[in-house]
Amino acid sequence: MSNETSADRSIGDVIEANPTTATGPRIGSTEAVFEPPGVIETNEMSVYYGAFRAVADVSLAFGKNQISALIGPSGCGKSTVLRSLNRMNDLIATARTEGEVHYHGQNIYADGVDPVEVRRTIGMVFQKPNPFPKSIFDNIAWGAKINGFKGSKIEMEDLVREALESAALWDEVKDKLNESGYSLSGGQQQRLCIARAIATKPDVILMDEPCSALDPIATLRIEELMLELKEDYSIIIVTHNMQQAARVSDKTAFFNVKLNDAGMRTGRLVEYSPTDQLFTSPREKDTEDYITGRFG
Amino acid sequence: MTDTKDTNVHFHQELEQLERKVLSMVDRAEQMVAVAVEAVTSDDTDLAGRVLEADVGIDATYAEVHQDWTSLMARNQPLGSDLRRMAVLIQLNVTFERMGDQCVNIAKIARFNAGLPRVERICEQIREMGDLVRPMIRTAIEAYVRGDVDEARRLPVMDQPVDRLNANMYKETVAVRDNPQLLEWATKMLMVSRALERIGDQAVDFGEQTVYLMTGERAEFDEDGMARTFDDQPAD
Repeated sequence: MSNETSADRSIGDVIEANPTTATGPRIGSTEAVFEPPGVIETNEMSVYYGAFRAVADVSLAFGKNQISALIGPSGCGKSTVLRSLNRMNDLIATARTEGEVHYHGQNIYADGVDPVEVRRTIGMVFQKPNPFPKSIFDNIAWGAKINGFKGSKIEMEDLVREALESAALWDEVKDKLNESGYSLSGGQQQRLCIARAIATKPDVILMDEPCSALDPIATLRIEELMLELKEDYSIIIVTHNMQQAARVSDKTAFFNVKLNDAGMRTGRLVEYSPTDQLFTSPREKDTEDYITGRFG
Repeated sequence: MTDTKDTNVHFHQELEQLERKVLSMVDRAEQMVAVAVEAVTSDDTDLAGRVLEADVGIDATYAEVHQDWTSLMARNQPLGSDLRRMAVLIQLNVTFERMGDQCVNIAKIARFNAGLPRVERICEQIREMGDLVRPMIRTAIEAYVRGDVDEARRLPVMDQPVDRLNANMYKETVAVRDNPQLLEWATKMLMVSRALERIGDQAVDFGEQTVYLMTGERAEFDEDGMARTFDDQPAD
């Protein structure tokens, strides 16, 4: 990883001081059109698990207040890429990230950057709803507290209410805030997890297959919620459901598995295009083969 | 990862069957044009009746295609070139059904005009338009089946004489304005000319659909066959 002179500044400081700074590469190098700087940009990012290179040379820029989708077959590295965007892979002992991940121009892997602060600013919602074994209220309040919230009781109540309202859950739980988070349905639990992520005032929300454990109605509610949330947040979602990516995302990145000469399977970025284009007229044959089911 | 296999084989088989059903309408539409033109230029009401009967078959296929298409779309939600092909097929289904309707209009005029005095020069012009339009339908389907974008781009060029003959028909009609019976007949023939001109336009649209299918670009042909994408066109 390269060293950054501004590494001792927090991510929050960087965004406050210079919200449009971006030093990362332009993604989609074949595209000549101008694009505003991405909120997160990766530059030649590779992720290893021990000696195994799971994903190689990913250069991508995720747009501000956009929903960006990562799609591809199992093992293509899309979840690995997602987890690298907020240093979640640091929690895996053998994981190692090379290249750069810039958040508003700041390399989040630079020396001195606090990964906990990174994860607060770039929140994550997981595949399976994972509420804490606490009340609905405390699911929000506890996450905010451990991330440094120091407001009064009333301010905390406001925070919980705002987070639940933003996650389109308030009307359903306002009369049972002291009941366990586990008492909610799967779809409600996932919205509770989204509310918990929102309560820490992130800038970016990463979602790893957030609807794969939900029924179609609950899935639609989450998708509607994502479209509402993108007014205030930038969202990056990994999904196996191509129709979901087509429905909600502005841009889509397709990853595929490539075999190297030694027979090792490594995920690579194949195409990153506006979603409408990728799903109707993809530039790359690999993408076309995948989305039409012609896949080996 | 070099070999690809079709993991969506059942959908692709159904898509192929749907495509065959849509394209089966083309031959019938082309024959209907020939018969309708013969009926209206030779005062043959029996032939006109055959056009009306043929259109029942076209309409039935149109309804079947619509149902099959809806079912296929609901079950598969295709993407990429599969989605483009589905979009093109539902458009072509409408195009061929409307070609049939234009032939029905001509056949009805053949019945209406039966026995009225006629101008042979106008009949010849209508026959000429029919002889120009039918090869356009043939060219359009060959371009589609072969995925030949260059062949599809010939269609607007082929359409130019059809448009000229249609424009000329107004002059022919005005020329008989002093004879009320001839004028009534010629006015109806002007509608025949207009129907044939529309069929030519529909063949051009068929060609544009082929370009979209093969390239993914929505395009509208210029008169010389160059395609302008919708993005290139000035805003209203």
